[in-house]
Amino acid sequence: MTKKIVSFTTVIVLLLVSMIYSASTGSIKMGFFEFIGALFDEGNSQMEAIRDLRFPRIIVALFAGAALSVSGVLLQSVMRNPLADAGVIGISSGAAFVQLFIISFFPALFFMTPVLAFMGGAFACTLVFVLSWKSGLSPLKLILVGIAINAMFTGLTEAFISLGGSLNTSASSVVGSNLTMRTWSDVLTIVTYGSVGLIGAFALFGWCNLLVLQDKTAKSLGFNVARARLIIAAVAVLLSAVSVVVAGVISFVGLLVPHIARRFVGYDHKVLIPFTALAGALLILVADTIGRTIVAPIEIPASTIMAIIGGPFLIFLLRKE
Amino acid sequence: MEIQDIIVSHDNTQNHLDGVSTTIQKGKITTIIGPNGCGKSTLLSVMSRNNIPKSGHVSLENKDLIQYKPKEFAKKLAIVYQQNDVPKDLTIEKLVSFGRLPHNTMLKKNHEEDSKAINWALACTNLLDKRHNDLEALSGGERQRVWIAMALAQQSEILCLDEPTTYLDIYYQIELLELVKTLNEEHGLTIVMVLHDINQAIRYSDHIIMMKTGQIVAEGAPRDVITKEVIKEVYSVDAIFNEDKKLGLYMVPLGI
Repeated sequence: MTKKIVSFTTVIVLLLVSMIYSASTGSIKMGFFEFIGALFDEGNSQMEAIRDLRFPRIIVALFAGAALSVSGVLLQSVMRNPLADAGVIGISSGAAFVQLFIISFFPALFFMTPVLAFMGGAFACTLVFVLSWKSGLSPLKLILVGIAINAMFTGLTEAFISLGGSLNTSASSVVGSNLTMRTWSDVLTIVTYGSVGLIGAFALFGWCNLLVLQDKTAKSLGFNVARARLIIAAVAVLLSAVSVVVAGVISFVGLLVPHIARRFVGYDHKVLIPFTALAGALLILVADTIGRTIVAPIEIPASTIMAIIGGPFLIFLLRKE
Repeated sequence: MEIQDIIVSHDNTQNHLDGVSTTIQKGKITTIIGPNGCGKSTLLSVMSRNNIPKSGHVSLENKDLIQYKPKEFAKKLAIVYQQNDVPKDLTIEKLVSFGRLPHNTMLKKNHEEDSKAINWALACTNLLDKRHNDLEALSGGERQRVWIAMALAQQSEILCLDEPTTYLDIYYQIELLELVKTLNEEHGLTIVMVLHDINQAIRYSDHIIMMKTGQIVAEGAPRDVITKEVIKEVYSVDAIFNEDKKLGLYMVPLGI
């Protein structure tokens, strides 16, 4: 119990520290107390710039991290597979492709982007499920199928951009994730859909816990396994789709964070889901802040940093399996 | 429970259950035995609704099994499977509490009744002092008892057990069968189980169903069913039978 409290406190403190650090570092620099003072100073022009440029970026990073990590927890529970991650198995790239494809032909549907991305993610998720179902969702088979699906959608997206390069200049922002130039309207999108998804995920913790039982055992308790799977997977897809829409494809977050989180707070989803959300938010915020400050003014996208950390981590997990 | 003309086929070429009809008597211990692949586990899975038959009917209390809602059925019948994956980081008490699922909905929970049922299930299976232990730290025999405790927490009238003794050593086998007997005698549970050991079946059953290649060969009281001729016919094994004052009837296989 105390371990859990310590873990939660540590993550929350680190989260606050990195938020303040991230907001006060960059081309406009401020000390800690100077920043806190400016926060309550209406007329401070530097603060205006920070408010418009850095705050949205920080909020987007936090929500994208939380959404992707929780989506990983849900997928791992639904697929009874510790290696499931929206980015690795192609759900994110499916969301990215369908969204890009439809918007290019029907730009008027722009306001529906999150819904389109959700449909794409759901399609990719169904493909992965159906294709690896026969093997009993064995971890390795699922990863292989997922990687193939991911490659296919990434390829389609790239081909599509090459073909119609001039047609859609904003397209490339979907492929490589970059959190630069996020606006308050991006914040509105990710906070709205992200909150729905995160609250929904937490409400499902009981079902996630029951899915550790074998299907036949869960069924014998009168538990509707198929319905639970469908709903949990839908929430997972929603979470990854909304982060794709606003922050682009970021892989490995949903793999890395839940694994580390389980070490600290255990396997009970009632605790695991909120902790994963906090830890995921922290990780992406830190990755993005490092990415934009380490070799400033050049920026390394958070997704690149995640790929550099995440790749070796996946190999490590595969060796352990 | 009434079972009528059940046909089950896993692959549509061969019938794994071929016209099985029988009645499970309330308040009794019924044991299904037979050689490997005879369909005994399949029969159990039909009774527990995990396998939907191609044709035939199963009814419980004059109601067809398929008409029961999942949770309603789970309150009538609980089943413990032969092999269970052991979840990580889960205490005994937590796992047993899953057995309360059919009695609760997402919004409505009766905590008092739940904890009463969980305590009863843990007491029956002699796990009260280990309730906060992790599942992973238990021996095979204890784990099997935990799964039974979860089924007991369902507070169903019928308890099905699929080869409950298969992976246990002889001490735990006897312990488990004694538990089954107690549950039947003291708590009035109807038991349906699949066993491999014929002597255990004779000793612990009121009613035996002997199966071979998807059909029931013989059924009835142990001493009527288990005879030299039936054993020869079903298992192709020669056996001698003996009557002991303390043990009752027992069988010694001689050879093939």
